[in-house]
Amino acid sequence: MGLLSILIFLPLVATLLILALPSAARASYKYIALGFTVVQFALSLFLYQQFDPHLGGINQAAGYQFVEQLSWIRLDLGAIGQLEIDYFIGIDGISLPLLVLSTLVMLMGIGASWQVEKSPKGYFALLMLLNMAVMGIFSALDFFLFYVFYEVMLLPLYFLIGIWGGERREYAAIKFFIYTLLGSVLMLLVIVGLYFSVVNPATGAHTFNMLLMMDPNNYSDGSFFSLLSNYHEIFGVPARMIGFVVLFFAFAIKVPIVPLHTWLPDAHVEAPTPVSIILAGILLKIGGYGIIRICYSIFPDVAAQANWWIALIGVVSILYGALNALAQKDLKRMIAYSSVSHMGFVLLGIASLTAEGLSGAMFQMVSHGFLSAALFFLVGVIYDRVHDRYIYNFRGLASIMPKYTAYVAIAFFASLGLPGFSAFIGEAFVIIGAFNAESMSTGIPRWMALGGSIGILLSAAYFLWTLQRMFFGETRLQGGKAWHRALTDLNRREQFILFPALTLALLLGIMPSLVFHKLNASVLQLLEVIKPYL
Amino acid sequence: MNVSISTILDQIIAAVPLFKPELALIIGFICSILCALFLEKRWQMSTFVLTICSMLITLFFLTEQLNISASGFSGMWLVDTLGTQARMVITAGAIITAIFIQQRHRENNNGDVYSVLLAATLGVNILSSSSNWLLLFIGIETVSIASYVLVGYFSGNKAQSEAAMKYALFGSVCAAVMLYGLSLIYGLTGDLDFQSAQHMQGLMVAPQSILVLALFFVFVGIGFKLSFVPFHLWSPDVYQGSPTAITAFLSTVPKVGALILFTRLYQAWSSTAFFFSELSVWLVIVVAIASMLVGNLAALRQRDVKRMMAYSSIGHTGFLMMAIFAYQDAHSYLMFYMVAYVIMNLATFIFIDRLEQQTGSTQLQSYAGLGKSFPMLFTAFTVVAISLIGLPPTIGFIGKLMVFSAVFDLYQSSGDLAILALLVVGALTAVISLFFYFRIPLYAFLRQTEQPTAQPATASKFLEIIGYILALLTVLFGLFPHVLLNLF
Repeated sequence: MGLLSILIFLPLVATLLILALPSAARASYKYIALGFTVVQFALSLFLYQQFDPHLGGINQAAGYQFVEQLSWIRLDLGAIGQLEIDYFIGIDGISLPLLVLSTLVMLMGIGASWQVEKSPKGYFALLMLLNMAVMGIFSALDFFLFYVFYEVMLLPLYFLIGIWGGERREYAAIKFFIYTLLGSVLMLLVIVGLYFSVVNPATGAHTFNMLLMMDPNNYSDGSFFSLLSNYHEIFGVPARMIGFVVLFFAFAIKVPIVPLHTWLPDAHVEAPTPVSIILAGILLKIGGYGIIRICYSIFPDVAAQANWWIALIGVVSILYGALNALAQKDLKRMIAYSSVSHMGFVLLGIASLTAEGLSGAMFQMVSHGFLSAALFFLVGVIYDRVHDRYIYNFRGLASIMPKYTAYVAIAFFASLGLPGFSAFIGEAFVIIGAFNAESMSTGIPRWMALGGSIGILLSAAYFLWTLQRMFFGETRLQGGKAWHRALTDLNRREQFILFPALTLALLLGIMPSLVFHKLNASVLQLLEVIKPYL
Repeated sequence: MNVSISTILDQIIAAVPLFKPELALIIGFICSILCALFLEKRWQMSTFVLTICSMLITLFFLTEQLNISASGFSGMWLVDTLGTQARMVITAGAIITAIFIQQRHRENNNGDVYSVLLAATLGVNILSSSSNWLLLFIGIETVSIASYVLVGYFSGNKAQSEAAMKYALFGSVCAAVMLYGLSLIYGLTGDLDFQSAQHMQGLMVAPQSILVLALFFVFVGIGFKLSFVPFHLWSPDVYQGSPTAITAFLSTVPKVGALILFTRLYQAWSSTAFFFSELSVWLVIVVAIASMLVGNLAALRQRDVKRMMAYSSIGHTGFLMMAIFAYQDAHSYLMFYMVAYVIMNLATFIFIDRLEQQTGSTQLQSYAGLGKSFPMLFTAFTVVAISLIGLPPTIGFIGKLMVFSAVFDLYQSSGDLAILALLVVGALTAVISLFFYFRIPLYAFLRQTEQPTAQPATASKFLEIIGYILALLTVLFGLFPHVLLNLF
């Protein structure tokens, strides 16, 4: 069993352990979860350290590292041929940063769950199951395996939001579930279609291997998604275009983009703090990851065609999310909408199809990962104390919670893209990429880069305005004296969770090469895949 | 017809070995009647044990027939791999049902119910191993009459009697209509074997209008047994009204037989040149789409779990029709989905029954907050629900995936938009089904309980364990489907 498998299945061991222990040991569940996640984090750092940045990955099996390939399901299906499903995992520069990010955010999530009182057994067991699914998604190279992990992720999340969430938790949980399931069921049809179009040249069987799907030579002649003789059309639209759009739709729900974003504020507002952290920190990245790994890599030809629209969707998400954030009165909703806006940059960066833009998009995902985790944690701090998040109910918090205010200020400045922080690098590179795209003739006009910059401006507006409304001025609280007493400053545990995230924001802002260095080869490789179709 | 009686007798004697599994059932049936009459008073379990034994013997004989392909009784009785496998699934389902009945109905059970169960099993077995209309009709009627008795057997209140009555009336009308259709077909073709050349020949030269009428009548009968749209109206009331053990049986075992029959029929007709072959393709597509939509949409509105399962099984029938449609020569899809369906449904009804004992109700409302008291039960129930929706990593997902693959393959070769519609509806109804299946964990885990639940007097642990094993199987076969598929 390789390192990557251990990384994926460690949480499953934790789940089983937690389930096996009697409820008398309920105090130990969080330590088990913490212990396993710490080991995972250490393991992911080890992978990061061992990772060879010169290997590109993307469409070459040889470019992947820590690869494990075992045959999993082999079936003879008569006329339809041989079914070939592998347990095939490996990572490249695209998945590595996200894996490291996930283990870190997961650690923050466990830290934020420290005070869960309501049935901790189920809670930590589900959290660990979710952890396993996320690791699996970022490592799977077989589409079937990917899909299994992708769907397994939904179930724990449904229960985590539905059982431990806020007042309207049922509604939020089912809305989230339905949105994602709708995308993924349609995705299943495309997977089946791809499966029938692609033949493994080594064995002659149809395959779910994603890397083989990326090679145009493996498509059998006249097959549904066939690349060369593309005569399959549905209502006059090429089949490959439909496949791309359906897959994009499935992942865009996760990103989320406007107008498929409406589940996100609901899910965030109703979810308990740790789940919000994981949702924003990790799960939104699955959308971006899926678009890069699957939509753009398997359908490079369509990606090149659809580029303009995807960039437009990105810009709309940036602006619409930012404007919405500006209008929110609930702090958590505001941050949820700011996520929509920040994830729009990811889409714009990917669509720019330039090395700067793509690297910027990846960097933005990483940076947004821990920054949004920190932001949601900060909201959770105040909510834990007084059970209120309404921005206008607070004023002048700076004088009673100085440490908290300092952390919030740093997190806000980091998120709005102040130079020196990681978000700046991500957003700046996306903007540069989008601006250069016109001269690289990838089909993105310059005004879209301009739209993105306005998004940065707007994000400064809503963050600073919130800072001013809640923290400065004379102290005035809705709950009066009682709130005043309840609003104690950050304790050591909370600082311990926040500190690494904000340090990382600063560190990556100053030394972006920590990420760029590892993903550069993969980004260039991806551009190589798409370039012939531009 | 100048065959001497001795030749006929020789033929019959030669065919007896092919009939061994059913003979075991028949002998078991006769013995269990006697047993219920004379032994049951002294030894309470005797009929049950006898029934289980005869079913196990049937299973044993079936394993002997696994690789045989033959026909007997002048071509009326077919033994092939598909039929034999289906009969094994049927017998296994019947064994679980027998245990279910035994565990649940210890009072006022004088043992007769087992003989009826054996008769029903025999009927389903006949359904899945013939292509002769006459024998099929006998099979259908055997199942039906036995089912009417089963539904009414434990009836203690008005609703249950009403369900039995409704079932019997609706069933007899459908049977009569079917018989009329069959007589027309016999008149048109002069042959009752729907796979034979003469039969096809007769169909091809027959006047279209009368033929369509005849076929429609025949489909009424099959549609009743399969409860596809629009012949599904009986099933919600009957499912809700009958004892849960019987509902579990009705929703699984007879469907397997009817599906095999339908598959054979579709296979015989769809590949020929006569005008109905095209029509039968359309019929299957339209009925499949309608059943999936109606079943799943109606299930959304149900407040009673058994009723909900009735509608959901209509939806599953639609999906099974899709599997029949996909069935070209790899019947493993069909068998796999059928086994998946049987496992999932039996598990569901075992859990429903367990909760019914606990709360005295099958209303979804009554599950509120029970997740805390029965974490294990509801976790297993949720796993089964996930499988029924068709999410990984469960058997339901693999089943759906394989049917989708087969249908997609057909679409790729024909490019017919109707097939694409079938696929899309199949996928979308999976999303719809999420709404109602997830009501179960929703009520159990997410809602708070209103009143403390009374402890039951006698809850069958054994049955619960069978339920857990079935739930475990849904995950195991989901992760390692080749274990199951290599059997087919």
